[in-house]
Amino acid sequence: MNKAHNYGTDGHGHDHKAAPMVEEITDFEVLEIAVRELSIEHGLFTAEDHRRFTEFAESIGPAGGSRLVAKIWTDPAFKARAMEDPVKACLEIGIDWSKPTGFGTPSDYTHLTILEDTPMLHHVICCSLCSCYPRPLLGMSPEWYRTTNYRRRLVRWPRQVLAEFGLILPPEVEIRVEDSNQKCRFIVLPLRPSGTENWTEEKLAEIVTRDCMIGVALPEPGRTADVHPVVKARRPVHHEEAAR
Amino acid sequence: MKSRTLEKTQNNIGVHEEHPLGVQPRFKVGDRVQVRDMPYLFYTRSQMWARGVVGTIAALTYSDLVPEDEAFNVDGRVEQYYIVRFRQKDVWPEYPFDNDSVQTESPERWLEAA
Amino acid sequence: MSHKSEVDLGRVTLLEAMRGQGKEWEVLAPCYDVTNPNPPWKTSLTAMCDCLDASGALPTLDRRRAEDELAEAVYSDVPAPESQLLALVHTMLNHGLVSEGELAGRMRTVRSRLEAV
Repeated sequence: MNKAHNYGTDGHGHDHKAAPMVEEITDFEVLEIAVRELSIEHGLFTAEDHRRFTEFAESIGPAGGSRLVAKIWTDPAFKARAMEDPVKACLEIGIDWSKPTGFGTPSDYTHLTILEDTPMLHHVICCSLCSCYPRPLLGMSPEWYRTTNYRRRLVRWPRQVLAEFGLILPPEVEIRVEDSNQKCRFIVLPLRPSGTENWTEEKLAEIVTRDCMIGVALPEPGRTADVHPVVKARRPVHHEEAAR
Repeated sequence: MKSRTLEKTQNNIGVHEEHPLGVQPRFKVGDRVQVRDMPYLFYTRSQMWARGVVGTIAALTYSDLVPEDEAFNVDGRVEQYYIVRFRQKDVWPEYPFDNDSVQTESPERWLEAA
Repeated sequence: MSHKSEVDLGRVTLLEAMRGQGKEWEVLAPCYDVTNPNPPWKTSLTAMCDCLDASGALPTLDRRRAEDELAEAVYSDVPAPESQLLALVHTMLNHGLVSEGELAGRMRTVRSRLEAV
């Protein structure tokens, strides 16, 4: 049962590289199914609701947020509409905050709020109490955002936390932490970087990564991915060992 | 229901204000307010770091019900929510940078005029 | 002014048995050259948390406060998202939403079902 790879060739001699899969059934996978089935049987929620919310979780990602920022950067009339009514502006770029229930998910509501950076003001977002996050625009929150290490420290020592992400700003620049604790959901509107004049919306969207919209990174030409220090596994496994 | 676009622009906040009939906000943008230190029964959305701190109303957001276990009066009232902004130096006395700030949301009942 | 913690931090035998086996996604995925940062059940877990909040069975703030305490006191050496799953189940057990016995039984039948494929 422990096949390491799914690679092989088809009958015509072409390389047929199927995507690798984890070929074992872990206790965690089994536990998730078990607790879910029991919850439905106990009437804690319905299978239909679970299916709907799962589809929602699988449908979201940060592309919507990137498009929103890029459009705000390039279209002043859209920017005015977005600052006036952010949720309505999201509809223009294909993001509907009322999904999947008609009034949002239980944890996202319908009160998007845009925080606009200026040369003298930089915003960064956390939720010190739980981990509220603008999921319709940014997708699922990254694991570091959910840790108490980030949430509690950002309010108290924002510059130190930002430095750990590689972002250091001069003392004259106001760093404004948004501790998202109620129904508003926040997204940072970063400054458009220099060197992007005449860029299309699509090209601009590529440099507006999730971290830029949380506020732990700044967009810049050539930076199209959020990279974090690799976290070592607790029990590093070597390939030779796994293949045995 | 005129929106306060200019105020919001000056405050760098893009938010859609909702004021259903009957809700009269007590505070307006720019008012100085102090966060009340109120007891609560279970979990609360009023952070400990903000208790007793004086800040400024940065925006009005929406009106909503306040959860019952937040207050002694279980009156199910709909009330105004605000974004309140604080100087970090007012929250943490030894905070080393003058210009930094922190903001969060409050229902009206947690706030009193400062 | 603060409440007493109602989170039962006592270890749960069923959950303890899953730890330290090297089966957490961040350990397992690299062994199979899988680059997806999340296990396939993560979205289902997220949906379950949303459902429990929506139905009122386990509100988000209660669940997250318990998860914070459990992550520090009990599951500090378990990576995400397994820590989130274990903390959720631990909290549901504490709240009497499911029982350890029925969970163990259901896990056996689910595993048999999956392994029969």
